Parts: sequence; structure tokens; C-alpha cells
Amino acid sequence: MSASRRVAVTGMGSVSAGGIGGTAVVARILADAASPIRPVRAFETAGWPSRLGAEVDDAALEGLLDPAAARRLSRICRLTVAACRLAVEDSGVPRGPALGLVVGTEHGDFRSSEEFVTGYLKRGPSGLSPMIFPNTVMNSMAAVAAIEIGARGPSVTVNQATVAGDLAVARAAALVRDGRALAVVAGGVDEMVAHVYRRLSEMGMLSPAAGHGREGCRPYEPDHNGVVLGEGATFLVLEDLESARARGAVIHAEIRSAAWGNVPVAPHTAPRRRRDLRSPALRALVSAGVAPSAVGTCYGSGNGDPALDDWELGLLAADRLPAPRSLASRFGQHGGLGALRVAAALDCLNKAALSPTTLVMVHGLARGGCRTALLIDRAA
Amino acid sequence: MTRVVVSGLGVVSPYGTGAKTFWTGLASGRCAIRPLTAIDTEGFRSRIGAEVPADVLASLGPSRRRARADRLAMAAAREALADADLSPTDRACAGLFVGAVGGGMLEAEAWYWEETRTGRPSPGIGALRAILPSTHAETLSFRLGLCGPKETVVMACASGAASLALGLDLIRSGAAPLALCGGVDALTRVCFMGFNALRLLDLEPCRPFDRDRKGMSIGEGAAFVVLEEAGHCRARGGRAYAELRGAGMTTDAHHVTSPEPSADGMVRAIEGALTAAGRTPGDIGYVNAHGTGTPQNDRVEALALARVFGPGRVLLSSTKSLVGHTMAAAGSLEAVASVLTLQHGLVPPTANLRVTDPDVPFDCVPETARAVELDAVLSNSFGFGGQNVSLVFGR
Repeated sequence: MSASRRVAVTGMGSVSAGGIGGTAVVARILADAASPIRPVRAFETAGWPSRLGAEVDDAALEGLLDPAAARRLSRICRLTVAACRLAVEDSGVPRGPALGLVVGTEHGDFRSSEEFVTGYLKRGPSGLSPMIFPNTVMNSMAAVAAIEIGARGPSVTVNQATVAGDLAVARAAALVRDGRALAVVAGGVDEMVAHVYRRLSEMGMLSPAAGHGREGCRPYEPDHNGVVLGEGATFLVLEDLESARARGAVIHAEIRSAAWGNVPVAPHTAPRRRRDLRSPALRALVSAGVAPSAVGTCYGSGNGDPALDDWELGLLAADRLPAPRSLASRFGQHGGLGALRVAAALDCLNKAALSPTTLVMVHGLARGGCRTALLIDRAA
Repeated sequence: MTRVVVSGLGVVSPYGTGAKTFWTGLASGRCAIRPLTAIDTEGFRSRIGAEVPADVLASLGPSRRRARADRLAMAAAREALADADLSPTDRACAGLFVGAVGGGMLEAEAWYWEETRTGRPSPGIGALRAILPSTHAETLSFRLGLCGPKETVVMACASGAASLALGLDLIRSGAAPLALCGGVDALTRVCFMGFNALRLLDLEPCRPFDRDRKGMSIGEGAAFVVLEEAGHCRARGGRAYAELRGAGMTTDAHHVTSPEPSADGMVRAIEGALTAAGRTPGDIGYVNAHGTGTPQNDRVEALALARVFGPGRVLLSSTKSLVGHTMAAAGSLEAVASVLTLQHGLVPPTANLRVTDPDVPFDCVPETARAVELDAVLSNSFGFGGQNVSLVFGR
């Protein structure tokens, strides 16, 4: 392995409730202030505590995928394949052994697991579908996407609540930096499934938690009262900077550093006052050789979960980083959100009147203590 | 290049708890595959597997509310950390890489079964909190005080091996001086039913590399190793079992469940691991094969090994013939087996191997362990999705 390659972002593809496309479309979606969060249409929510979500319009996927191939894929695999394909087309990165793939997901293909089990419960062993079973393994999205985009390098699926996409991008940056691949398509995906939605709602994870206040996603706001689920897939193409330059790729930005860590707290908890003595945000800054003051804008993973929002604000303040912005109120919480925040960081660097030396941080924090930090810079 | 050693081992296997128990079982060639009791097998073709015995499970600590897989993981991880004799300060800077697939599915299935069959809400809904594979890492990092980078890797049957490969990269990058790496999976109904539906399970204990093999046998377990930067280990007076010299990770990008027939992806993983280790095929004396016992996998793996090493040029055997295919745990169990093979100079056998398949032109060490002086060994793990991971360990 060669040490410490520089990592560029050369393309992106997104299938979200806001729209479907590559870099230009994502920039337009991010500029649109309107939120696609509305009452869920895919399944009936009557009688459940929550009813809002940010859904992908399946009709918009038509034309992106070969109809015969699409019929063989589960819905979450279709979302993944479409977004990965858009990202690769956007970047022009070549297929082959030097191309890797990292998929982050919170829930995986839960719909297929439910369908597989239901077949058995209704009809016994004869009701089991050998075609569906492989989808019950969480790397099924990566498996079909790797075939579609010709990624024959390392293919990694990471499972993580809240910051699955952030972790996937950080993991991919490490794969490029460490020389395991010249380029990696990285991001995240999740879909809304009735069973998961209902149970999370009943467990008080979704707004309006415990029925208090009006339903909605209001990260970091005083009246935040729970998460609103979204769905979709967003993937970036991360590439060795020199290779990208050599092939004449458009370089949107550089990932100056990527770090992730763990605050050891009980599973599924977010203790507001717990400090982080090994902050990955500070490690990312040290690795890049810059001070916290170099960060002009910070995108956070705040999603309306009151305890988690408050904890993240406290940790960022302790690290002397700017108050974060969130995209969860626009797209709903899902595995693709981390990559969307990186896309927003790129957009911010390109559009905002920031000093040339100012960087953007994409920060993530999950219940259970997983914490991520990506430091994004203009392409040198 | 930063040198990384294995300084702690921990295992819960169908033989019982402890790396020593695991090694004793492997060396004896005793097959732990038998009729399953943890899940209902009525009506299925294959009804056998290698499960952690009930009395062993009961001995794994007081928290019976915790998911079966979490309990397996916790016991193996605790043993690995204790074996490495790490101080709380060392633990605090340790990374954590967990290979997992099923998560807390076994308990969630029970809840779902009950609700669906009765049509009434089940009080067991709390099981859903532990359903995701990432819960293992949350539990381990909290209970064991691990504050370094934490990652849950889902790479099907290559998950456990991938956890070591990524841990190796982490240490070499300088982000942490050590990491707890391994995999875990408990038996689940979904896994058992799925492989039955695919007709990939043998009705008898599996016979990897045998001419008449009919499929695999599923299993369960957990194995963790402490990977540590060699200088860090030496400075604190730690013991190095072996060195993890290199890892290769590739993808077939060919088919979701079938390996690429030319074995190209496997060959690239093996060659990548050898290159990273600075070794040639001639340096490897033994391969701990993925060796599932399915006709297709064994044939393609043998082809890959023949392409890299040449027919008959290396010994190989299958741990899965002894403890079944433990899914996400397999790669890390087999990493531990590889390390102990190096340490003891004894190659564990392939159980139930009577007549070696002519398409497998290798000595697969049938039935009885063999004493061999070894300098370096290779461990292969392959999985659904065309995932290929190879690890090279040296003395």
C-alpha cells in the first residue's frame, strides 16, 4: 500500500425525495428550500403516532434501470443501483479492479427479510423463496451495485444508525488513502418500510415522540420532538487525486481528512452531557494541520432526536466548531443523508463567499456513540 | 511498513468457550456438527448444524436478556482482551471492528413469529432494539471501554476476515495502535431456512473437498483477536502469537450468490494479500480454506489456489468441516485457527473427507491433524456478493 494519498470527490448520484440525478441536479435540489416531507403515501399510517415521511417517487426511477433487470431487484437494491450508476456516469470513473464500493445502511433490505419470513409463516418450508433469501443479508445492495458499476476492488457494507452514510464516506476515503483502491463509490441507502416505520413510531423514536407537540423534523430547535424518516440513496465518487487529474476528471473538492471514533455509551443512548476525550473532529483537524477556526461551516447529523441533537451541539461547542446545519429537515433521516451533507459541503465551498482558506466540516453523531468527521476543502 | 501482530485471542465455538478449547477440538479432528436444538427444524431437508451447546451458552454470564449473538461476542471479546493483558488505558485507544450479519435476528424472529401467529401485540418487542448487526459493536465498546474507531462490517461470510483486514489498515494508518477485530453470528431461522431453500445444506455433516460432497453445514460462534502495532506490543511486554502480514480484499462483480467461475476475484484477493505481505506463493505452507463443502465453492476455490500456488504445492484444510459454517464469525474463527496452526506447527484436518475430488488437486489433510513446520499461512474467506478476503499470517 502506498501511504497517504489525497482524496478527491469527482462525482455524485442521488435518488432522494428531493429528486434524482448527478452533481447538477443535486445542487439544484439543495438550493430548493421546499421540503418533500409530507404524509406517507406508500402505506397506511392511520392509528399510528406518526404519519410524515420523505418518500422517493418510484416513477422517477423509470428509464434509469433496464426494466427486466429492475424486476429482479428489490426496491432498495433499485435505489442503490440507480444512485451508484448516476455517480459513476457523473464522474466518468473507469470500471475494474481499482474501483471499490462502500455502502452504508441503517436497516438494510428489511422488506425482503419480512417477505422471506412471511412466505414461511404462511406456507411452511415450501413458501420460502431462494430468490429472496440473499436479499436478507445486508450486503445485497452492494452486491448488485458492484455488478452494475463494475466495482471489482474492495466492496464493504457498513451498518450504523444515523450516520451510516458519513461512516461509509469516511471508510471509502481510508480505502483510497491506504491504497486499497484508486477510486471508491461511497454513500448510503435506506428505504421506508411499513413495519419499521410503525415500530419506530410506537417506540417513540419518530416525531411527535410520545405525542408531544406538532409532528415534524426540527433539528437543533427548542421544540424538536423526534425524527422524521426519509429514504433514498446518495453516492459520491472518491478518487485518488493524482489519478483523477491524470484522467482529466472534474474535481469538485478534496476530502482533506476523515476520522471516526466512539464515545463508549450504552447502546441506543445519547447522554447529553457526555464528553468526548478523543474527538474525531479534532483529530481530523490535526490531521489536516488546521485549527478549529479554519472551519467556516459545519453540517451536522441533527435529525430532531432531542437527546442526540443536544449531545451533538455540546460536543461541537466543546471542540470550538461552528453551530451545525442539518439536512434532515429536508430529506428525512436515512442512510443516504451523510453523502448528501458532503454534497452540500461541496456546494457551500463553491458558492458561498468563504475565504479561500476556509473549510467545511461534515459531522456525524449517533446514539450508541459512533462519531464521524469529514473535512472538506476546495480542490487544490 | 508498520508491523502488526496478533496479541490476544478469544473464541466461543461449538466446542465451547476459549481459544484453547477451540484448538483442542480442531487438533483432535472431532466434528461438532449434530442435530440442531436451538431452532425448530421440523419439515426441512437438512436438520443439522454446529451450535454452541446450551450449557456453554448458560455459562456466558448473567445477562440473559441480551441477544444470543451479543453474548457470544461479549465472551469472545472479553477473552481476547484478557489474553492480551491490556490495561484500561490501552483499551481506551483501541479500535473495534465487528463482522456481523444476523445481529439479534434470532430474538426478533421469535417476537415476529409470535405476533404473526397470534395476531396480537407481543411483549417481546424490545428484541427489535438489538436486531441490527451494529448493536454488537455498541455493546462491546460500551462494556469493554473501547474508545477508538468503531465499525460494523457486513460482508456476508467474509465479514469476520474483513474485520481483521480493516483493523490492519487502521493500525498501519496510525489512527490507533491496536484494535479488537472479529466476527460473530448466532444461528437464526432466516439463515437456516434460506440455505435450506437454496439447497446448499448437506443432509449429513459437510465434507469439504470430498468427491461426493453435497453442501455445507451451518454453525454459530464468535472469535476476536487483538491486533496491535508490534512496537506497542513489545513496549508493554505483550505476547505476539503471530504477525498479520497482509490482507487482500476484492469483489467478483459477477453474481450475487455464485463465485466467478474463472476464480479471478479469489486469485486477486490471494495475490493481493501475498503482495501486501511481501511474500511469494512458495513462502506459504498451508491454506486455511474457505472450504464450505458446496460443490461449486470448493471447485472454484481449488481452481484459485491452483492458479496461484500450482496444483499440489500447498496443504489445505477446512475448519468448517469441524465447526460448520459460522457465517460472519467464520473468517475470524479461521484466522484464530491459522494463528494457532502456525504456533503449534500442526495443521488441523478436514473432517469427513474420504475421497478427495479430482478437481481439487491438493492434499486436504483428511481426518487427522498433521505436524508441519510452517513460516507463513493463508486464510481465505469468501461470501455472497462475490466478496473475497485473504489474510497472510507469519510467525
